[in-house]
Amino acid sequence: MVIRTAPLRGHRQALEGPGFLARPDLQILIDLLREEGRRVIGPTVSDGAIVLDEITTLEDLPRGVGDEQAPGRYRLRRRNDERLFGFVVGPTSWKKWTFPALVPLTRASKDGHKVSFAPEPPDTAPVAFLGARACDLAALGVHDTVFTGTAYVDPDYAARRARVFIVAVQCTNAASTCFCTSMGTGPEVEGGHDIVLTELDAGFLVEADSAAGHVFMAKLPLRPASAAEQYGAAATVAAVRARIGDPVPAAGLHDRLLAQLDHPRWAQVAERCITCGNCTLACPTCFCTTLTQTTDLTGVDAVMYRSWDSCFSPGFAKVAGGSFRSRPRDRYRQWLTHKFATWWDQFGSSGCVGCGRCVTWCPVGIDVRDELNAIAPAVPLVPETKLVEPVAATPNDFVTARVVATRQETSDTTSLTLTGTDPAFAQGSTGQFAMVALPGFPPLPISISRFLPDGIELTIRGAGPATRAMCALQVGEQLGLRGPLGNNWPLDRAVGRDLVIVTGGIGLAPLRPVLHAIVAGRRRFGDVKLFYGARTPADLLYRDELERWAARDGIEVSLTVDRAGPDWTGRVGIVTHLFDQAVWDGANMIAFVCGPERMMQATATTLAGRGVPASRIHVTLERHMECGIGLCGHCQMGQYFVCRDGPVFSIGQLGDIFGREGI
Amino acid sequence: MNETAALVAALNTSWFATGLSEKAQTRLAELGRRFTAEPGTELFREGETSDTFGILVHGRVALRTLVPERGDITILTVEPGDVYLWSALVPPFRASSTGTAIEPIEAIIFDGAALRAALRDECELATALYPRLLVAVARRLYATRLQMLDLFATEQVKEW
Repeated sequence: MVIRTAPLRGHRQALEGPGFLARPDLQILIDLLREEGRRVIGPTVSDGAIVLDEITTLEDLPRGVGDEQAPGRYRLRRRNDERLFGFVVGPTSWKKWTFPALVPLTRASKDGHKVSFAPEPPDTAPVAFLGARACDLAALGVHDTVFTGTAYVDPDYAARRARVFIVAVQCTNAASTCFCTSMGTGPEVEGGHDIVLTELDAGFLVEADSAAGHVFMAKLPLRPASAAEQYGAAATVAAVRARIGDPVPAAGLHDRLLAQLDHPRWAQVAERCITCGNCTLACPTCFCTTLTQTTDLTGVDAVMYRSWDSCFSPGFAKVAGGSFRSRPRDRYRQWLTHKFATWWDQFGSSGCVGCGRCVTWCPVGIDVRDELNAIAPAVPLVPETKLVEPVAATPNDFVTARVVATRQETSDTTSLTLTGTDPAFAQGSTGQFAMVALPGFPPLPISISRFLPDGIELTIRGAGPATRAMCALQVGEQLGLRGPLGNNWPLDRAVGRDLVIVTGGIGLAPLRPVLHAIVAGRRRFGDVKLFYGARTPADLLYRDELERWAARDGIEVSLTVDRAGPDWTGRVGIVTHLFDQAVWDGANMIAFVCGPERMMQATATTLAGRGVPASRIHVTLERHMECGIGLCGHCQMGQYFVCRDGPVFSIGQLGDIFGREGI
Repeated sequence: MNETAALVAALNTSWFATGLSEKAQTRLAELGRRFTAEPGTELFREGETSDTFGILVHGRVALRTLVPERGDITILTVEPGDVYLWSALVPPFRASSTGTAIEPIEAIIFDGAALRAALRDECELATALYPRLLVAVARRLYATRLQMLDLFATEQVKEW
């Protein structure tokens, strides 16, 4: 249902642009609305809070009253001015009038063997809302979609909603609990209202946004607002936006949250949550209801009532055999994932408008923003370094390069030094790969293991016919290349941090350029530790470089192998044993990990145990790739194309899809 | 510093014993003694009776298994802080691999029979030590599983 109406045509407006209304003259607006037969609902002080109730005069409004809000805390405080809207949202929301907590739906009666059911007519008495904020208007918009925007229209809501006139108020204050900016709903009032007021020291800036709004505006004793007043009003609202910031970065929140259904935090928050349902009652968009029946003493006449219910109620998901969400953690997860994720799938928007009521009115002070940031932390998807445009980007195109040196690294692995490569390759970034082709063989993604001024190096393990043919190339022979492709290791974010590099087998190849970059700018980084595991001592790559990094370049190199003969005096065991008992403070660390996926999982778990946050544990993934640019579809992993969005991802970004079977 | 206090300090450098109660550490120190060995020393032999339980403080011990036609294969190295020869506490008290010092080592060792008797008679010591031992054993078990997967192998895994 679209509530907004077109601007009135042919109506002679008293003013061009916003008007100014002296504070005492707001009474005239209240009187005009009441003369139309409307009950005016607005903020008023009651029981130590600013609640919404019927008002008749300006004296009912909270003159000079402000509020302080924090998780689990709400206090009124005296302001040193006369403002009528100098507070933020209180515990009540406007849904109390559009979607009351208790409404009679049907009257039923029994007459002998006959039964009859009569729908209860909805309350259509006109009302006016005075003082709705941007988040409140967004909440009404959410309800409009839920109750009137799908196949079945809720007649009670539709009738009540249609008779509402809205005088909105711009926010000139923010509470510590506000996060409309993150939810994209405020603080600026941008639609869904008839009139909007911005409170200034001496009165209000008034603007109309509907035909009815213009009619009322024309009847008010307005003077044109001065440029200073208009600027002051806009600047105040802009300051509110700046004060709130972006507490819950929403990009990708839907996917991030749904990828964390097994996060341990659900159990942790449930230890605090007392499942009282206060959040759902204070929430302006929660819409779940239950039906109750009352009968008279004879049992002849009955009324069916609809009342607010809460997904936190123990009986909410109950069937004969028990409840589908018996544990508090299940109910909390249901609420949070519905509000911030699955609501999008059902109604095309977030179910949260960022008003912060659930934060303030949670008796144990659970802050939904903290929970979201812990369970589904925001991770930048866009690489920070500007990556070079690849050459021969599309799969039909290749540039050629010539082998100028080969080096047998191990029994099955060879490094090829290539020159004559397109200049784009030399400008590639650590962790990127090339699609490499020989006539007659499928092109394969190969990590670039060294960037040279006039070429690159590729380290290839002969695991199949194509890679064996590449390993067998001789000096002077050519091959085809596309690239550099994919994203890079976030070295920019490692500057000033301690860096842990954990790798196994051929996994050192895509990390070798990282080590070269570190050596080139060693002082930009804190401690650098390289943990490298191989199958046997003979399978260790780049042995001369490993020695040099350790001896000369200030990199702590630890090696281990899975098995060894008696002549090996180094460590034997898995790579995580190199650091699983280390006494580290992982808080300042960033980790780059490359190896078989099972090894990376074990490593990520061990690093997380050392306190390295998931957003700073980066892995590079291997998947079947044919195009390298997100077109062939082979390398999909959940919502990502590994070639285009990766191959480097943080564990936080991957969430539950990392290491999950069959993804 | 008397010998017991010195051994408590040495125990505290190992992840195995650090964090144990002061009482348990002192009791362990009373039961233990210092041990050093040169590289190449065979500390215990696969299949033979284990009469010593050890906590490695410095150096490296290779655990090896003889595979016919492949010779002695090192399957794990014990690093400082970790325990070795815990078979002295688990029936039938026989070493499951051959342990060789591959660096100069320093350890705290315990007579197997005496430690077993203490663990049998002193509940407090037993409740402190056994969970640590279980952690050490579980850590090795998990590592062994990962090694068994042979993750770095080139060969394509064949269907079983």
